[in-house]
Amino acid sequence: MQRRFLSSICATAGNSKTLNQGRWSVKQVKKSNFHVTLDKIRASIDSSDFIALSLQNTGSYAAAWHRVSAIDTPQTSYLKAKYAAERYQILQFALCPFSLQGSKLTVHPYNFHLFPRDELKCGMPSYSFSCQASRLTSMAREGFDFNTCIYEGISYLSRAQESASKFLSGNPILADPIAVSSSSPATVADTVFVGRIRSRVKNWRKSCVESSIKTGDDDLVSSLRRLVLGSEQYGSRLCLTIDVCSERQVQLILEMLTEFSEDVVPLLIASKSRGTQAVRTVFMSSKEDKDLFKRELQDLENKENRRVRGFREVIDLISSSQKPIISQNYLSDLTSIHAKFLGPLPANVDDFSSSLSSAFPNVVDLSQFMKEISPLSNISNLPAAMSSLNRFFAPVDVEVANQGSPVKLSESYQSHGQNAVMISQLFAKLRTIQKSDLSTEDFQALASDEHESSITSCSKNAGDENVKVWSKNSRRVSSENLVFIWGLAKKMTAANLKNALQKSHPVFAQEFDVKYLDKSCAIVVFWESGPSETFLSAVNNEEQLCGSLREMVAEGLRAAGYETYKKACRLGFWEADLAESLDKTLESSDTDPDTDSNPSEIDWSNDLAINFYEL
Amino acid sequence: MRRQKQWPLRPLLAYSFCSSAAERVSNSTAAAATVAFPLKHVTRSNFEKTLNDLRALVKAADFVAIDLEMTGVTSAPWRDSLEFDRYDVRYLKVKDSAEKFAVVQFGVCPFRWDARTQSFVSHPQNFFVFPRQELTFDPPAHEFLCQTTSMDFLAKYQFDFNTCIHEGISYLSRRQEEEASKRLETLYREEGIDSSGETEDLKLVRLADVLFAERMKNMLNEWRTGLLNGGNVSSESPRISNESTRSTETVFHQMRPALSLKGFTSHQLRVINSVLGKHFGDLVYIHSNDKSSCSQDFVVYTESESDKENLMKEAKDERKRVGERKIQSAIGFRQVIDLLASEKKLIVGHNCFLDIAHVYSKFVGPLPSTAEKFVASINSHFPYIVDTKILLNVNPMLHQRMKKSSTSLSSAFSSLCPQIEFSSRSSDSHLQQRVKIDVEVDNFRCSNWNAGGKHEAGYDAFMTGCIFAQACNHLGFDFTQHSQSDNLAHNEKLEKYINRLYLSWTRGDIIDLRTGHSNADNWRVSKFKYENIVLIWNFPRKLKAREIKECICKAFGSVSVISVYHIDDSAVFLLFKNSELVWDFLKLKRQLESSDGPVSVLHPLSKILEGGNTGAADYEAYKEICSSHISEILFSDQAETVGVKSRTRPDPQDETDRREESTVAVTHKSSDLIDAFLANRVEVETATTN
Repeated sequence: MQRRFLSSICATAGNSKTLNQGRWSVKQVKKSNFHVTLDKIRASIDSSDFIALSLQNTGSYAAAWHRVSAIDTPQTSYLKAKYAAERYQILQFALCPFSLQGSKLTVHPYNFHLFPRDELKCGMPSYSFSCQASRLTSMAREGFDFNTCIYEGISYLSRAQESASKFLSGNPILADPIAVSSSSPATVADTVFVGRIRSRVKNWRKSCVESSIKTGDDDLVSSLRRLVLGSEQYGSRLCLTIDVCSERQVQLILEMLTEFSEDVVPLLIASKSRGTQAVRTVFMSSKEDKDLFKRELQDLENKENRRVRGFREVIDLISSSQKPIISQNYLSDLTSIHAKFLGPLPANVDDFSSSLSSAFPNVVDLSQFMKEISPLSNISNLPAAMSSLNRFFAPVDVEVANQGSPVKLSESYQSHGQNAVMISQLFAKLRTIQKSDLSTEDFQALASDEHESSITSCSKNAGDENVKVWSKNSRRVSSENLVFIWGLAKKMTAANLKNALQKSHPVFAQEFDVKYLDKSCAIVVFWESGPSETFLSAVNNEEQLCGSLREMVAEGLRAAGYETYKKACRLGFWEADLAESLDKTLESSDTDPDTDSNPSEIDWSNDLAINFYEL
Repeated sequence: MRRQKQWPLRPLLAYSFCSSAAERVSNSTAAAATVAFPLKHVTRSNFEKTLNDLRALVKAADFVAIDLEMTGVTSAPWRDSLEFDRYDVRYLKVKDSAEKFAVVQFGVCPFRWDARTQSFVSHPQNFFVFPRQELTFDPPAHEFLCQTTSMDFLAKYQFDFNTCIHEGISYLSRRQEEEASKRLETLYREEGIDSSGETEDLKLVRLADVLFAERMKNMLNEWRTGLLNGGNVSSESPRISNESTRSTETVFHQMRPALSLKGFTSHQLRVINSVLGKHFGDLVYIHSNDKSSCSQDFVVYTESESDKENLMKEAKDERKRVGERKIQSAIGFRQVIDLLASEKKLIVGHNCFLDIAHVYSKFVGPLPSTAEKFVASINSHFPYIVDTKILLNVNPMLHQRMKKSSTSLSSAFSSLCPQIEFSSRSSDSHLQQRVKIDVEVDNFRCSNWNAGGKHEAGYDAFMTGCIFAQACNHLGFDFTQHSQSDNLAHNEKLEKYINRLYLSWTRGDIIDLRTGHSNADNWRVSKFKYENIVLIWNFPRKLKAREIKECICKAFGSVSVISVYHIDDSAVFLLFKNSELVWDFLKLKRQLESSDGPVSVLHPLSKILEGGNTGAADYEAYKEICSSHISEILFSDQAETVGVKSRTRPDPQDETDRREESTVAVTHKSSDLIDAFLANRVEVETATTN
């Protein structure tokens, strides 16, 4: 495999002090250089074994409780990620195909600037998107160039949008032969309509045949004839446009035209708003001409598709390469990619996993991988994660293989897209550590066997990874044992609330734990099953309600089980305060059975991943 | 709802692209034949100074023109102004837009009549605004929406997004300020309670902590003893540690001897605090933020219990003061709005209802839920607003002068003020009628420039002001006779145009902002009988309006449907002949849906109901759907999400109430409507309850 080593910056990974910004020169790709770079990207992907990616979005979560936390099941985590993926926009897509041989890591880093441009004026790829002001501010602090992004960002269409846009480009499209088969019983009006059109097509075809025989005419005569006959031309071919008022008529005309299929090709002309406006029949002088014509149309369509597809071409390259993808934030990255480049996100996590794996069969969740090697590390900060691996001896030499010019530190924009390189570096380090544990000589064998298993475990637990909190005090709790309480009359710390609850009901004589999920709502965790139900029924039952609990309820305390929380996520009540959402859920009359009603387990730890000073 | 503004593409001359310059007065292109339009760009670096200058300018001004640039206009295609939007629905749509999108540029241009030069002096200012979160104790994550087409539009006119996001001036609305102060107050109060309990919370578990605490205890003891015995408080550090990163030094804090702590981690400081609580009654740990917002930590010696309390209180008050200062500075751009409001100047805008709604929602507080409440509230903030678009369309003389050309901002500007646009003063035969307008920026006055400036809010505000000045001139307003004491807003020639804005320009709906006016209700006239309207969504997508009409006509008679109007691909309005048909339709639909028999298959409506997801509801449901803060792209998705799915006929009781409430007057052409409205002769007829 031919590789270009025009520039190579080698550094031993793991030394966090050298991990400053702008270390590697990353190829910046914009609208202007996208098409010329595409071939290089294809070559880079072909020559690599893995693909690391990292996204820069306009936001992550709108309210504290929208963040995926320890209390989430795979389904609720997915719904949270889905909500964010649909609202926010990807502005930068850093892509780093890489290969690893021994301790040598060869990377091909690219950074794409994206911006959704409504080129067809139909609300695609996106009508609008949300921005988090704080996110934009911090991007600005990192030197992000918004002008480049908005003026020069590459647009795209998702796969689903591309097929929908076929009708919108205004180009005539070949009638789909499958559509010509089925038909409902014909009415009298249909028969009359077909008869009328048939005679019209017949006459037109006859004149076409005649004119094609009389080839001796000079241009003037033939153009005069055309004028007299009122016939139109499509390119150099004669054609006839039949206006239609409904899809039913289109169907009838196409059925009728099969009689003339030898030398007449039907095209559908889409109307601006919706559906088909007219059927255009084009006369073919010969069989060869017909083939040529169809090929021409196909080329035109392909060209048009490539134009509207834009950046998605890269996604298709990644997808067709079938190479493993390394992602740092599995759920948020891949829901975003699915929503923007594949199609609308399905309603539940299993459909998402299967839809995703049809496009990307191998996705490695780096945080999962990291936890296997170094359970206590925090993946969210890449340089910190890197330095936490320093205790292992795992040298990795990085070589940048796709850059024509060495790094110019003055060009600050070169620094964008470093994350993807760091992800590949971290992955390489983890692989080396893993390999040394196994003391396997044959690295390639490892890549094929051991690695696949780690991938399948990832895809099996799609979205599940965030449920686990790696902490020494972690305990597994069934979601049935969780109770959400909100509407407290006065602000209390978790400790105060725990005290108050202990006094309020005998059920709290057992061991339990209280944590705030956001400023409006707290969660009570029982270690055994049973008390949660007792408590919930006590709160909702007039007779059982007494003492200080009655007082608390009278002051506004409300309580609900985990089902309500799941329902809030499912119904999309993404209010700023969790309390609001739960209230709305209780009010909503929607009683659709939850598809995923089995109690699921979560890992509870005293050291819950929610930090209230951050809220 | 799209604003009727179009800017002709003027040749851009020597446009220098500079992304981070704080202040760009674009008159530096001296190489050009004439000077480029002088426009003052304001970002957070020169905001304070500009604001001070602006105070005097606004005070002296006769009127102030404004214009806004936003990140978008409609959050979904169906949120655009539609034919069948009643005034209350229309208001809900404007409200949605103002709540969801951000203002990125705010043009303010005060105009003052200069009797000496017999001309207007204008001061165009272009403020970059960005809703940056300045307060750390603010509610989380402020979000706004961007409409891709609007962003493209801004990009087309080379809007500088970098300046906006990096350097834009942030703001707090009055409501936000109140809330922030309240939160600060609570923090201040709680602090007293927490500080006592917090120190005990810290248990020294780790060996390292225990050792560190012991070391600190010794060190503090040593320092305290030295302080008490020697009495000579040397500025020299009693203990400069070997490590250069950490140091303690004896200083004075609030007139008391103190040990300044540097280079400790917050955990170590907590340990020190707990050591103090346990072992030293007269030493107090103080964490303070000085003016340059860098924090400092001290251990302070107090002479007595009361002295200790005093010190704690002082520290607390200091923190509160810092918080208040932060809130003050976070108000930012709202100071400009407060200035305009407090000076009660005449505000001039062009088709500016959306602008005013933005001003309200960004700088006053959340928009009221109904148009009536909005009208009742806006007046106390901005008593005089005039819309040049109203002026040009409603005044017959000005309307005629426009010679039927479009009343979009740029074309109105070129037809009313050609001398300003093209700087062709000498050759103009109507010179006598033209108002002379000069521009003054940073004490540099200029009356001749090349108008090839790019489109920016500041320039648009300037154009709006010029149109207004010229229109006043045509109305027979003599500026030469005009003295400073006269308020333009009280002039009788303008009286009938003030405080009337287009609620929807495309439909010609005008909203009247005057409260307590005898005809204040007249703007709520309606073109249609909304109780005759049914909303249908999620029907088979391939059905066209005509086919739907055919189906309905088959079922209810050929004259039952007056018109069918597409909301978007997924939904239509059906205007029935009378409201009985509305209920008949909804009833029939429900019957057909509940029966599986052959009737439901062969019925003409089955074509519309095919698929089983078709929803239908009355006009009130449409209002409910519009009032939701959710914005799905397709109307059918929106209707399902909002959950009006099962809604068909409301209780008969409820229905009659609503009908009595609604007063409907019918006038057909929008121009008629405006004239009739202004002449106060709109016939108000109660809808016949059949």
